[in-house]
Amino acid sequence: MKQKVVSIIKENLLEIIPALENEELSLDDTFVDLGANSLDRGELITMTLERLESESSRVEFVGAQTINELADMIVEKG
Amino acid sequence: MKAGIEAINIYCGSAVLDVKELAVARNLNMERFENLMMKEKTVPMPYEDPISNGVNAAKPIIDNLSEEEKGKIDMIITCTESGIDFGKSMSTYMHHYLGLSRNCRLFELKNACYSGTAGFQMAVNFILSQAAPGRKALVICTDIMRTNIVEDSLDFSFAEPSTGSGAVAILVSDNPTVFQVDKGANGYYGYEVMDTCRPVPDAEAGDADKSLLSYLDCCENSFKEYQNRVEGADYETTFDYLAFHTPFGGMVKGAHRTNMRKLKKAKPDYIEADFQKRVTPSLLYCQRVGNIMGATAHLALLSAIENGNYDRTKRVGVFSYGSGCCSEFYSGLVSPQAQESLKKYGISNHLQDRYKMSMSDYESTFHVNGKLKFGTKNFKVDREEFPEPYAHVKGKNKLVFSEIKDFHRKYEFV
Repeated sequence: MKQKVVSIIKENLLEIIPALENEELSLDDTFVDLGANSLDRGELITMTLERLESESSRVEFVGAQTINELADMIVEKG
Repeated sequence: MKAGIEAINIYCGSAVLDVKELAVARNLNMERFENLMMKEKTVPMPYEDPISNGVNAAKPIIDNLSEEEKGKIDMIITCTESGIDFGKSMSTYMHHYLGLSRNCRLFELKNACYSGTAGFQMAVNFILSQAAPGRKALVICTDIMRTNIVEDSLDFSFAEPSTGSGAVAILVSDNPTVFQVDKGANGYYGYEVMDTCRPVPDAEAGDADKSLLSYLDCCENSFKEYQNRVEGADYETTFDYLAFHTPFGGMVKGAHRTNMRKLKKAKPDYIEADFQKRVTPSLLYCQRVGNIMGATAHLALLSAIENGNYDRTKRVGVFSYGSGCCSEFYSGLVSPQAQESLKKYGISNHLQDRYKMSMSDYESTFHVNGKLKFGTKNFKVDREEFPEPYAHVKGKNKLVFSEIKDFHRKYEFV
């Protein structure tokens, strides 16, 4: 499950910030370091939950700083 | 039975700061700053407070009424998170300086930036209930944030350029020349969340990221509830314009993009064109004032009305969000006569007429702001301390805040 979530997060991140296309994305880089502002992070959470057809509220995922952290939270909370 | 806005006017101060200068001075990341989509912020002067701003917004509306019509105002609802007393409502002061009938309900409402919509909807329901046919309600949304120290916290570094000061006054009646509400077309959505708040007087606290996510959750869910209640409602085709609560322009752009993608499966280029067409008119005034919290949703609505094209009657969708939180999506009709009826207030000229401050002018207001905190017992305002902005007020029959004496605030028309 986590692998699937991670790859969806990565795909969405590339859609939001196309400049990351040729970058090596570390799962532990912070979204801020990857150039995602708060609106981008909000969009990333929205798109990821959408792709997973999750009905969870976005606010439940506040505080996720990295791809790994966000994936863990999504796996945990559904 | 019709109900809605008969008249609406604003007062957004006498001094303004170009927020780009502020961003440079504060060493903000300029790319992030551009995402805010803000241009200017009203800087509150010591002789302006939420009460004087409210009166200055409402007075041109009241002055335009006959004595008989004035006597029909049955309540003043002040909508704010900048109250000056836990018990006494600001409506009592505003009622006095507006010279309205004593047969009038006076009270204050709060729920962060949702307060204006809470007050507006209560007024609309009072009219629609027909409990007092032919009567009117005056809703005054007024908020202020006086900066006295600059926080180091990164979370709030972007709050300084986006926070404003000002008031929107709305006369609600059964003669809705400006905005006729769609009766019963209201989707509400609220729950307990600790996003942003004012747990102590004169300062904000909270988590900006959480607030952004909560705004997005509410924007989607309040619209879905609107759809549940309005048969056939469609995010794209039902509304000619959209006016959202605007903490900063980029937030509205982000929420609209999310809605268009999620609800309409729209692609980025299409969303951008739709944003320019249906949303941008609502942002123009907000970008020049800053976030005035409880008053912002109606500042956005007014901006959409004054800056849109109404060659026929068009529908505007309104989204209001207040931290804590409560939100609402509602709508109404704007006729081709609306713009003409607002011309007499010269709203765009008022925004243009504010004194343009330098960074050092702006920072020189901090020390006096520090003395004007909640609970101040005695204080005399030195109007001449900032002569350039004051010259934009003097001789224009504006109300200015002059003194606090034993907690009682005093004002004068100058």
